[in-house]
Amino acid sequence: MYEPKIIGFLCNWCSYAAADLAGTSRIQYPSNMRAIRVMCSSRIDPEHVLRAFVNGADGVLIAGCHPGDCHYISGNYKTERKYVLMRKMLEQFGIDPRRLRLEWCSSAEGGKFAQVVTEMTEELRTLGPIQLGAGD
Amino acid sequence: MDKLKFAFYWAASCGGCEIAVLDIDEKILDVVEKADIVFWPVALDIKYKDVEAFQDKYIDVCFFNGAIRTSEHEEMAHLLRAKSKTLVAFGACACFGGIPGLANVSDRDEIFNLVYKELPSVSNPDETTPQETYSAPEGELTLPQFFDTVKALHQVCDVDYFLPGCPPTPELIEQALTAIFEGTLPPKGSTLAPEKALCEECPLEIQEKKIPFIKRPYQVIPDGKRCLLEQGIVCMGINTRAGCGARCIKANMPCRGCMGPTPEVTDQGAKLVSAIASILGVEGEERMTEKEVEALIDQIKDPLGTFYRYTLPISLLRRKVMKK
Amino acid sequence: MVGSVMVVGGGIAGMQASLDLADSGFRVYLVDKAPTIGGVMAQLDKTFPTLDCSMCIMAPKLVATGRHHNIHLLTNADIINVEGNPGNFTVTVKMNPRFVNAEKCTGCGLCAQYCPVEAVNEYDERLTLRRGIYVDYPQAVPLVYAIDREKCIGCGLCENICQAEAIEYDQTPSEEKVNVGAIILAAGFDEFEPDTKKEYGYGRFKNVVTATEFERILSASGPFAGHVVRPSDGEIPKRIAFLQCVGSRDEKSNKYCSAVCCMYATKEAIIAKEHNPDLEATIFFMDMRTYGKGFEQFYQRAQSEYGLSYIRSRVPCIEENPETQNLLLTYETEDGTITKAEFDMVVLSVGLEPPKSSQELSTVFGVPLNDYGFLDWKIFEPLKAKEGIYACGAFSGPKDIPDTVAQASGAAAMASGVISGERGTLVEEKVYPQEIDVAEQQPRIGVFVCWCGINIGGIVNVPEVMEYASTLPNVVFVDQNLYTCSQDTQEKIKQAVEEHNLNRVVVASCTPRTHEPLFQSTIREAGLNPYLFEMTNIRDQCSWVHMHTPEEATEKAKDLVRMAVAKSNLLEPLKSSSVEVTQSGLVIGGGIAGMTAALGLAQQGFTVHLVEKEDHLGGLLRSIRFTMSGEDPQEYLATLEQSLRDHPNVHIHTGTTVERIDGYVGNFTTALSSGEEIRHGICVVAVGGQEHKPASYLYGKDERVVTQLEFEDMLSKGVKAKTVVMINCVESRDDTKEYCSRVCCSEAVKNALKLKEKNPDTNVYILYRDMRTYAFREQYYDRARENGIVFMRYDPETKPRLEKKGESLVLYAHDAALDLDFELHPDLVVLSTGVSPYDNSALSQMLKVPLDRDGFFLEAHMKLRPVDFATDGVFMAGLAHSPKFIDETISQAYGAVARACTIISKERIETEPIIAEVDEELCCGCQVCIPMCPYNARELDEEENIVKVNEVLCKGCGSCVAACPSGAAQQRHFRDNQLSSMIEAFVRR
Ligand code: SF4
Ligand code: SF4
Ligand code: FES
Repeated sequence: MYEPKIIGFLCNWCSYAAADLAGTSRIQYPSNMRAIRVMCSSRIDPEHVLRAFVNGADGVLIAGCHPGDCHYISGNYKTERKYVLMRKMLEQFGIDPRRLRLEWCSSAEGGKFAQVVTEMTEELRTLGPIQLGAGD
Repeated sequence: MDKLKFAFYWAASCGGCEIAVLDIDEKILDVVEKADIVFWPVALDIKYKDVEAFQDKYIDVCFFNGAIRTSEHEEMAHLLRAKSKTLVAFGACACFGGIPGLANVSDRDEIFNLVYKELPSVSNPDETTPQETYSAPEGELTLPQFFDTVKALHQVCDVDYFLPGCPPTPELIEQALTAIFEGTLPPKGSTLAPEKALCEECPLEIQEKKIPFIKRPYQVIPDGKRCLLEQGIVCMGINTRAGCGARCIKANMPCRGCMGPTPEVTDQGAKLVSAIASILGVEGEERMTEKEVEALIDQIKDPLGTFYRYTLPISLLRRKVMKK
Repeated sequence: MVGSVMVVGGGIAGMQASLDLADSGFRVYLVDKAPTIGGVMAQLDKTFPTLDCSMCIMAPKLVATGRHHNIHLLTNADIINVEGNPGNFTVTVKMNPRFVNAEKCTGCGLCAQYCPVEAVNEYDERLTLRRGIYVDYPQAVPLVYAIDREKCIGCGLCENICQAEAIEYDQTPSEEKVNVGAIILAAGFDEFEPDTKKEYGYGRFKNVVTATEFERILSASGPFAGHVVRPSDGEIPKRIAFLQCVGSRDEKSNKYCSAVCCMYATKEAIIAKEHNPDLEATIFFMDMRTYGKGFEQFYQRAQSEYGLSYIRSRVPCIEENPETQNLLLTYETEDGTITKAEFDMVVLSVGLEPPKSSQELSTVFGVPLNDYGFLDWKIFEPLKAKEGIYACGAFSGPKDIPDTVAQASGAAAMASGVISGERGTLVEEKVYPQEIDVAEQQPRIGVFVCWCGINIGGIVNVPEVMEYASTLPNVVFVDQNLYTCSQDTQEKIKQAVEEHNLNRVVVASCTPRTHEPLFQSTIREAGLNPYLFEMTNIRDQCSWVHMHTPEEATEKAKDLVRMAVAKSNLLEPLKSSSVEVTQSGLVIGGGIAGMTAALGLAQQGFTVHLVEKEDHLGGLLRSIRFTMSGEDPQEYLATLEQSLRDHPNVHIHTGTTVERIDGYVGNFTTALSSGEEIRHGICVVAVGGQEHKPASYLYGKDERVVTQLEFEDMLSKGVKAKTVVMINCVESRDDTKEYCSRVCCSEAVKNALKLKEKNPDTNVYILYRDMRTYAFREQYYDRARENGIVFMRYDPETKPRLEKKGESLVLYAHDAALDLDFELHPDLVVLSTGVSPYDNSALSQMLKVPLDRDGFFLEAHMKLRPVDFATDGVFMAGLAHSPKFIDETISQAYGAVARACTIISKERIETEPIIAEVDEELCCGCQVCIPMCPYNARELDEEENIVKVNEVLCKGCGSCVAACPSGAAQQRHFRDNQLSSMIEAFVRR
C-alpha cells in the first residue's frame, strides 16, 4: 500500500502535549507523521508548508491550541488566517488543499490527536502521492 | 584602455528592458565611449551564427533580458553564457521569470488551445497550432520548442549578477554601469539593488499595520498619505527590494513586486501570504468566527497571481500542477 | 527569622503561592497529602467563562512548580506538628511511603502495564479503574509512581519489570523537620457527597452523577475519551438536567452558597452541547449567581447561543424508571404548578465543603475555623489565619479559580512580608563551569538513543537507530542508554562530551516538554551552552503509538533522529541578557486597593510611590460606612492611611495624576502632573471604579430616589421613612451595562439589615432579579428574610416603574414569582446601580494595556493571571479589574504585591534565550510585526526606521517572525534555516 509522508508542525503547549498524551495513553495511530515542534503554531509560515511539499511531504499538518487557548494569547488566530489563505492559494497551484490541515488539539486531547493523524493518513492514501509541477 | 564589449539580448520579454537601456539618456554616450556593442538583436543586424563564431568569453558583459520560454531562449542563454565573461540577468523576467512567468499556471497545450483555438477573435478552422518541424516542399522548417514551464535565466545557466526591475530603473542601470566601468562590482551572485524592502524608500506614512479589509485598486482612491497596505490595498513593497525609488507609490499605485524578494526570502508569495493574512483582521480577531475569517480572506481575490506576479518561476512550487 | 515558607496543599492555590515566593527569593516547601500536586483543577475539562482547557493552562504551572530549584515538593505527606513563632516555625512532616524510589523512578509506567490488580480511579471520580501501582494522571508532578498498598498483593511483578530498580516494598514512613519563617494554608476543599441526600438517588441511580464526575465524562482524557455518554448503558444522553445547590443553601446540609456551581453547571452544559448539539440541557436553579467578570455575558450566551433552558425551581426528588434508567423529576415552579419531566441523565451541582483535613489543620496549626468548618478570617484581613500563618483559596471559603489565584499570590505577599529581611538567604544557585566557545568549531554531534527500559527498546530497534545515526553528517559519537534520564547517564553524557569534544548533543528519548531541561543542564555542566542541544521524541510519539508496527516505528525513529541532527548542525549558543531593575514601584490610585498594594510593597522593603488624583486617600472606601460583619471601615481606613504615612518607604502623591509612562518592565519612568519624574520597576493599576449614576427611576429628579452609597451615608446619619424600596440591577445586566456588578445584592441586604436594626418598624422591600449573595454572604440574606425584609423578584421584561403621583411616589411592579402586579408607596427608593469603570482609556494607552468591553482593565489571563497584564511589570487590583468586595480587593492588592515582587526583588531580570530578533540590515520598518506581538515587545526605532525587539518583554512565540515579510525577523532556536533544515531532512535521501 502507498504510504503518505506527513510533516506535522506542533505547537509546544497544546498539540505537542496532545501528541505526548496519545503516547502515555498508548493510543495507536499510523506512523506516517514526523513532528516538528515549534513554540506556537503562529511561527509557521506558508514558506515552511511549501518547503515541506517540495521536500517530499504528501501532507502537512499544523496543530495548535484551541482558539482562545494559545499560550501566547492570540498566535493561533494568525495561524488560522494564514491557513485559510494558504489553502486558497494551494488550490490555485493545483494542489489539493486537503493536503494541508489545521487542527486544534488541547493538551487533554490525545485521542483527538491520534484520530487526526489517522484520518489524515487515510485521506492522503486515497489522494495518492503528491504531484508537483515538473520544471521541464 | 581597450573598449569593453557589451551584448544585449532579449528572450521572452516585452521589449521594455531594451528601451530602459536608452532611459539613461545622455549617459548612453559615455557607454558608447567606453564600450562597443557587439550583439543587440533589437538594434543591430548580427546573426546568431556570428555570435557562435565569437571566442569564448569574447563578450565582457552580456545584459540578458526576458524569461526562458522557448528552446531558442535556452540555447541563446547557454551560448551567451559561454561567450561572456559576465552575464547579467537584466530585468524582472530574466531574474525571476517575471510577468511571462505567470504562464506557469498553465502549460503549452492550454496556451495553444486558448491562443490558437478558443479565443473568440481567432478564426482557425483547421485548428492549426505551431509545430516544431514542418516539411515544406523547400525542405524541413523548424521552430523553437515552446516549453510548458517558464524559467528565469539562472535556472538554465550560471548568472553572475541580477539587475531586477520591470524594467530596471535608469538609476540602477547607471550604478551597475559605473560599477562595471570602475571594476567595483560586488561578489558574483549579487543583486545590484538594495537589500532592504521598499518600505525603506516609501514616502507614505505608516500608522498602524492592522488592516480590517482588502480593497482592489479600482475600489478606492488612496489618500496619498498613508501606507497603501494600511488603506487595504495589497502593496508588495513590504518584501520587494527597494531601489526603484517607489515610483509606483508616487503615482498612487501599489508596489507589484517587480524588484523581486528581499535576500532572506525564498518564496515571495508565501511570505506575503504570511504577512498579509497576519495583519488582516488582527483587530478583534478573538471575536471572529470561522465563517468571518473565511469571508475576510476571500477578499483577496487571486493570491497566486497577486503575490507571485513576478516570481512564480523561482518560487518553491514554480508552477501549477496540471491535471493529467 | 528563616527565609523559607511552607505551603500546605498543592492545588492551583498552593502552586501559585509557591511560584510567587520562589520567584522572589524564598525557599518553599510545598506539602501535599496526595502523591502528586495539581488538586482539583487537574480534573477539570474546561474552565469558565473562557472555556479554556484546564490542563492546558495548568500544565505549565505544574511543570514550573515541579522544576523550580527553590521549591521542594513533599508529596504523600502529612503535617503532624508545628512549633515556634512567626518568622521561625518548625514543622514536623510525616512522609508516607510510596514504595517507589522517587529518585530512581523515571515515570515510564511500565510497571502499571504489568500490575495485575485494579483499584477504582479517584482521579476519574471512580468511573474507571487504575492499577495497584499508579500515577493519577499522565502530566502528574512529580511523575513518580506509587503503590496502593491496600490493593497490592505483593506479587513482585512490578519489581521485576522495573528496569530502573525503583520498587521498594519495604519503605516505611519517615519524619522530617522543616524550618520555615511563615506558613500558607492552601488546603482547598472537598466536594459535598450527595449520598446523604437520599432523595436524589445518587449511588442508586447510575445516571445521576455529580458535576465532577460529569467533568471527567466531558474530558477528552476522561473515562469515555470525551464521548458524553451516560454511565448505565453508554448511550448518548439527549436530555440532561443539572440540579443546582446540592449541598448548598440548604438547611439540612450546608447553609452557605458554594459560589461556583451556577457557573460550572452552565459551563458543563455548554460543553455537553458542543459535543452533541441536539442535547437538551436544563438547569434547575434558585438564583443564577453569575456574578464574576464575564460571567453574566456567559450566562446570556448560554441561553441565546447554546439554547440552554433555565428553570427556577428546586427539585425535591428524583425517581428512576427502572426499565429505561431514565430519571423522572417532579418539581414545582414559582407559580405553584407541579411539573414532571424525564431526563436521560441528571448532574448534581454539588457544593464545596471544607477539606476533610480542616479540623486537623485547625488543631495542628492552631487556626480558627468558622461555623461551616472553613478557615475563619476577617474582612480587612482576608488572608490571615493568625500571625505568621496565612490562607488562600477555597480553604477560606468557596471561590472560583481567579479569586483563588489572586488570593494565593496575596498570601505569598503576606507570608514573605513577615520574612522579607531574609529574602535570598536560602535560595540555591547552581554554579556551572566556564562555557566552551564553539563559534569557530565544525559541528561535532553526539547522539544518545534511549531504551527507556523496554518502553522504546521493546519496539524500536535501538541498535539499528544508533547505527544509522552514526552515518549522519557531523555525528562523531553515538551511544545508547537504558534510561537516559537516570543520574548515572548524566555522568556518561558529560564524559562523552569531554572525551569526544562534542559540541552538539542530540537525545532521542521521551518528550522535551519534561526532560529537555535536565539534559540541557547536563551538557551545561560539561561546559556546553544548553542550547546546543536538540531532543527528539521516539517514545511518546513513536514507540508508544506504533506498538504493533515495530519496523515502521524504527524507520520513524531514524527519520526523527535525522531531522534532529540536521537542526543540531545549525544550533547556536544562546545567552539570556539581563537588564537592571529599578527596585521600586508605582501604584496608581489611592483607594483601598492602591493603599494596600503600596503598603504591601513597602513592607517588602521597596520604595513605592502612591499616586492619587483626589486630594485625599481612600477612594470609594470613604463612602462605605458599615460592613456586614460589623467592622468600621472608616476606622480601618484611618489606620491604613496612618501606616502608609508612617512608612519610610512610601511616597504619597495626592492631587496628582500620571501624565506619561515610558519604559518597560524593570525600567519605567513616569511623569506626574506635579512635574516630578519617577523611576520604577513595576506599576500597579488600582484606579478603582465608581458607583454608577443612573438615568432612570426619577434619579436626580426626585430627592427621595437615591443610590445605595447615598443611602448608606443617610443611614449613618439617620433615616426617617416608613417604607423603603430597594431596586436591584438598576442599569445592570441590561443594555446599559451588560455585566453584573457583583456587590449590589449584598450591599442592598447590608443596608436593609442596617435600616431594620435602626428602625425595626420600617417596611423594607428588595426588588431583585437574582439574589447573588454568594458564598458566606448567604447568611445575611437568610437573616434579612428572618428580619422581615420582603424580597420580590422581578423579570427584566417587566421592570418596576416609578411614578410621581402628586407629591408621593408610586412604584408599580410585577412579582415574577407570584405572577402578580402590585403597587408600593415608598418614602424612599434606593437604587442598586452597580459599579462603573472610570474612563480608563488614557491610562490604558499610556501603559499599552488593554481594556475589556466594559471598560475595565483586561488581565493577561482570565483564569490564571487575574492580577497580571499581558505586558510584563504591570499589575492590577481592585475595581479597576472588575467590581468586587473589600476583602476581595485587599486579597487582589496583596496578589499584585507578590507578583510585583517576583520582578523588583531582583537586581536584574534575565531575558528569555528563545526570543525574536531583528536583522537591522534587512528590516525596512514596514511594521507588519508590531501588531503581531501580544506583549508589546516590538517597537519602531524612529531614528533608524527599524523595529527593535524588547528582549525583556518578548516571550518567544514567533508570531512576528512568521509575519515579517522580508525575513528580517528571526526567532532564536527556531530560525528559518533551522526549521528548514528539519524539513529538508524529513525524507531520507
Ligand atoms: S516572538 Fe512573539 S513575543 Fe516575541 S516579539 Fe515576536 S510576537 Fe512578540
Ligand atoms: S515586519 Fe520585518 S521588516 Fe517589517 S518592520 Fe518588522 S522586522 Fe522590520
Ligand atoms: S501556543 Fe499553541 S497555538 Fe500558540
